[in-house]
Amino acid sequence: MTENSAPVIELAGITKRFPGVVANSDVHLEVRHGEVHAVVGENGAGKSTLMKILYGMYQPDEGSISVDGRAVEFGNPKDAIAAGIGMVHQHFMLADNFTVLENIVLGAEPTTGLRLDFRAARRKITEISDRYGLGLRPDRLVEELSVADRQRIEIAKVLYRGARVLILDEPTAVLVPQEVDALFANLAELRSAGLSVIFISHKLDEVRQVADRITVIRRGSTVATVEPRATTSRELAELMVGSELPTPETTESTVTDVVELAVAGLGISADDGPSLLSDITFDVRQGEIVGFAGVEGNGQSELVEAIMGLRKPDTGTVVLGADDMTLWPAQDRRAAGIGFIPEDRHRQALLLDAPLWENRLLGWHVKPPAGGRYWISPRLARQEAAAIMADYDVRAPGPETLADALSGGNQQKFVIGREMSTKLRVLVAAHPTRGVDVGAQAAIWDRLREARAAGLATVLVSADLEELLGLSDTLYVLFRGRIVAKLDPSEVTPKVLGGYMTGAVTQDGEVGAQDGEVEG
Amino acid sequence: MTRLLGWVRGLAPTLVALVMALLITGVFILIIGEDPLAALGALFDFGDSPTAQANSIGVWINRATPLFLAGLAVSICFRMGLFNIGVEGQYRMATVVAAGVGAAIVLPAPLHILVIVVVAMAAGAAYAAIPAVLKTTRGVSEVISTIMLNSIAVGLAAWLVRSPFADPDLGSGETAATREIDESGQFPGLNDLFGALGLEEPRRPVHGFVVVAIVVGVIIAVVLSRSRFGFELRASGLNAMAAAANGISSRAMVIKAMLLSGALAGLVGLPDLLGSAHRFQSDSFVAGYGFTGIAVALLGRNRPGGIALAALLFAFLDRAGPRLQSEGIPPAAVTIMQGIVVLSVLIVDEVARRRLRRREERRARAEDPTTRSEEVAS
Amino acid sequence: MRRVMKLAAGFATAALLLTACASDDGEDSGDSTDSGDSGDSGDGLEVGLAFDVGGRGDRSFNDSAAAGIERAQDELGIDFEELSPNADGSNRDELLRQLADDGNEVIFGIGYAFAEDMDTVADEYPDVQFVRIDGAPSEKENVAVMNFADHEGSFLVGAAAALMAESGQIGFVGGNEGVVINAFGAGFKQGVAAVDESIEVEDHRLASGEDPSGFDDAAGGRVAAEAMYDRGVEFVFTAAGDSNVGVFQAAADADAWAAGTDSDQYETVGDADLQQVIATSMLKRVDNAVYESIEAYSNDGTVESGVFDLSTEGVGYSTSGDFIPEDVIAQLEEYKQQIIDGEIEVNFEE
Repeated sequence: MTENSAPVIELAGITKRFPGVVANSDVHLEVRHGEVHAVVGENGAGKSTLMKILYGMYQPDEGSISVDGRAVEFGNPKDAIAAGIGMVHQHFMLADNFTVLENIVLGAEPTTGLRLDFRAARRKITEISDRYGLGLRPDRLVEELSVADRQRIEIAKVLYRGARVLILDEPTAVLVPQEVDALFANLAELRSAGLSVIFISHKLDEVRQVADRITVIRRGSTVATVEPRATTSRELAELMVGSELPTPETTESTVTDVVELAVAGLGISADDGPSLLSDITFDVRQGEIVGFAGVEGNGQSELVEAIMGLRKPDTGTVVLGADDMTLWPAQDRRAAGIGFIPEDRHRQALLLDAPLWENRLLGWHVKPPAGGRYWISPRLARQEAAAIMADYDVRAPGPETLADALSGGNQQKFVIGREMSTKLRVLVAAHPTRGVDVGAQAAIWDRLREARAAGLATVLVSADLEELLGLSDTLYVLFRGRIVAKLDPSEVTPKVLGGYMTGAVTQDGEVGAQDGEVEG
Repeated sequence: MTRLLGWVRGLAPTLVALVMALLITGVFILIIGEDPLAALGALFDFGDSPTAQANSIGVWINRATPLFLAGLAVSICFRMGLFNIGVEGQYRMATVVAAGVGAAIVLPAPLHILVIVVVAMAAGAAYAAIPAVLKTTRGVSEVISTIMLNSIAVGLAAWLVRSPFADPDLGSGETAATREIDESGQFPGLNDLFGALGLEEPRRPVHGFVVVAIVVGVIIAVVLSRSRFGFELRASGLNAMAAAANGISSRAMVIKAMLLSGALAGLVGLPDLLGSAHRFQSDSFVAGYGFTGIAVALLGRNRPGGIALAALLFAFLDRAGPRLQSEGIPPAAVTIMQGIVVLSVLIVDEVARRRLRRREERRARAEDPTTRSEEVAS
Repeated sequence: MRRVMKLAAGFATAALLLTACASDDGEDSGDSTDSGDSGDSGDGLEVGLAFDVGGRGDRSFNDSAAAGIERAQDELGIDFEELSPNADGSNRDELLRQLADDGNEVIFGIGYAFAEDMDTVADEYPDVQFVRIDGAPSEKENVAVMNFADHEGSFLVGAAAALMAESGQIGFVGGNEGVVINAFGAGFKQGVAAVDESIEVEDHRLASGEDPSGFDDAAGGRVAAEAMYDRGVEFVFTAAGDSNVGVFQAAADADAWAAGTDSDQYETVGDADLQQVIATSMLKRVDNAVYESIEAYSNDGTVESGVFDLSTEGVGYSTSGDFIPEDVIAQLEEYKQQIIDGEIEVNFEE
């Protein structure tokens, strides 16, 4: 790390509001020449918004951006690129049947007069590749290349356009460990050449390994910028999660003794690498909400899919009441009374181009009265859709309105109303209030509490700690596909929760395997 | 009442599109130096004598029936986003098998016909099962596999009509054909009905199978709008991922949709087979309904009622072909007009759909004050 | 799903427009789009003519028929009306009915595919004389069938091929496996065998069964012929309609011989490079059949079925381009005489 302290990028007081949400508020970020600067934070903490502002995709409502000490305003990514800022997206944007060379020059084609000058482009690409150890072969077809190779192409693409500051959005999410090491070697080359890298991640061990400085974002604001050497993983985790946790409402426990859903020994192995889920065992009793905390990507989606019958587990059983439903198809599970609020409502919960009454039927179309084994009743479905709209305050003209015409909050209220207006035994809710405004959020929470009081067994997966702590009777923490802790929400501290979520500590209070600096 | 109003509103863009198509075709006719008004007259010329008029109506019905069935078959797959180009091959296979089996058996009249119909549907479904299985087990695109299977069907049908199903009494110089289906397996024509209605009887047989087609159309309409299967089909087409997340297996739906589509395709060749040809002969077998059916399904917006209207329109234009030639309009003009109709309807419809969508969104916002602020904020 | 629908729309439109273009070919080259009642003398014999699929302008079968009826218009003073079927050929019967309704006394159906439809319509209009070109005999009294001894003409082309191909490697490209094309192939092979029995003719069909797609597949014809020429074949006889031109292109590339069908393709191919490889064509005088039928009706009020063979000059071989050497022509004429005399019997089947 060079001690050249002049900042190449300075973001000051950045605030960005979206309808109903403040995505960034008073953010400060300073990136120096020749440093790898990590930006860490929970999913939804506002990292992506911040980077999109820096890359010109969003314009901040308040605050200023300066490059090399000069104030700038980016109307679009082109401006950002011209100022020397490049972005390597999480999802690669490459044309498969083009060569490496063609992909790199695409959109910035070298011309002499009116002709494409591929010779000059090839020279420049080879030069970039050699200088930063990217090992690119310009004539390979992209479709033949591995994910890591493609990522290097994306990096080369940004460098080709003259970037001095590279934003890497969760670059390690798609890589296997050896590839991660190779990427970090590339980043070291970039740094020693005087370039700056902004490295976005929520994996603390990686961040500590590669970054010169770390800025932590929590709930849209920057809380601190620290040096990894002087900070423990646990301190970092606490910064990420926050020092104050919302106090759960002291409501009377409605938990009964009757186990409604029993998951035992559930495991799903991946094609390569570590298991997606292993040895997941828990019970959900009538009147109980069981919450799952964890940094996203640690097995939550797989767990939900296994319970809903959308993914076949390799080991273990899922038992509903007295029935082993491990081998049941998804439809039978719904019919048996399992409600489902998926994490991505647009893709998994709604038919956007269909009217609300048809959306009322989705998932419940085999269940009378509106649905049935052979026939459905559009008339009854319209009535039921209208009832849901009234009960759950879904603001829409009527049952014939297309789901697409509704705002996100109203869509989510409709989905929740659909699931909960049926007599349920178990509800599986993934991020039930994601993307909805505060008012709707409170209403949804009330509904979940009411249902709990009425004896519903609920599995709640969420990234919102306030939601998890406020609703759960029992809280599990998932880390790398395992349950690493079973906690009592009323007693948990942020330090403890953050430690478990990031893998810094395990249940027995032992020191995490990959983090030697943490004291017991 | 409001639904009736909605229906009329839904039809309006189509009518606009039809007028547009007519105008564009008129310009074409002007360009080739003929009289568009004379062409328009020829389009609606059903003949001078009552017999000729009855005949024209008969031709119209006979042409519309297979087009309707083909459009219906295609639309089933369209509904869930599957592109079954294989209706062409499916109905060819179904027709040759039905002709072969129908000629080999003799049963009392209604039963004989029923057996032939069932055999045709089964054969069509079986041939459609191949791309379905390829898609669900190996991920082979149905577009590719059905195109390939269309070619294979031509060869396979040619072999079937020469070897297992060949008419043994055919002379050596004659074109291969199956034996004629016994009278008990021939579908009565509608010619008498014309007489009963006080019209002249058409000279050519008017295929009574149109009655079966109408019944099938009604059944399909009910199944699509009221049955669990219809809902699952629609849900899979609108959002396969959401359908799967809600327990609708996309593999099962691909298989079901293809089988139903193939079974309907099996009916396409029957009006002609049971109504007038009574045997399969490669030369006189009318090919191409499977492809035209794609256009018919598009024009009919995948709804049975719409497909019926589209089939009637296509048949109406086809019927006018020879009349137009007498006016000096080349026969290709009919095909061009059909293409223009499909394009204009799709374009006008898309525009209308977007306008409708925007209005819906405005109305939904008006209901919801929280989203109104969204507009201001963004 | 919307994406699929758009794809489908594109596909459907393309398909419709393609068929439109394909069948449109005829109209721009044919000068008589105003065919209806085109006669200047109002009182002449009224004759109707329904083309085979493809219509006027195919430079082959249909155009030959058109030439015959135009000659009748010029020389016999008749009026005529012509119609073309739609792309799938499903309205042939309607064409015949309309021609009958319009008052034509003699109605031609060009092509064997008219067989069933013409028999049906002939029953409905007993006073009209129907004439079909090609195909099996009809039992109807008012249907005359003009048949061509395709196998006899093909025999002579086969003999020419065997005499001209020094290597003795000879090929045949047929449009499909239907009876008409089989007759071409059978006659051709017999002609080859008459010269040299040891020669095995390579036989390739562009489509199976009666599938008509092989008549409209120039690319397929070219590929098939290229393969033959690559294997050393020196002479390819092609009976595949519009696909013939593909064979000619392959022949031009390989600098080897080809032979065409129906009309004198040396004259009609319209490309100097391709002309140089068309050694001969099996002539099928559809124009004569049409003209003579009209002439017969003018004189006798009826038309009898007829066979157009070598003896009546209904079939033959062309010598345009003068590619066939004098001595070969002499031998061909000898074969021709032997066939006419019945000394050689040519079979229409193998």
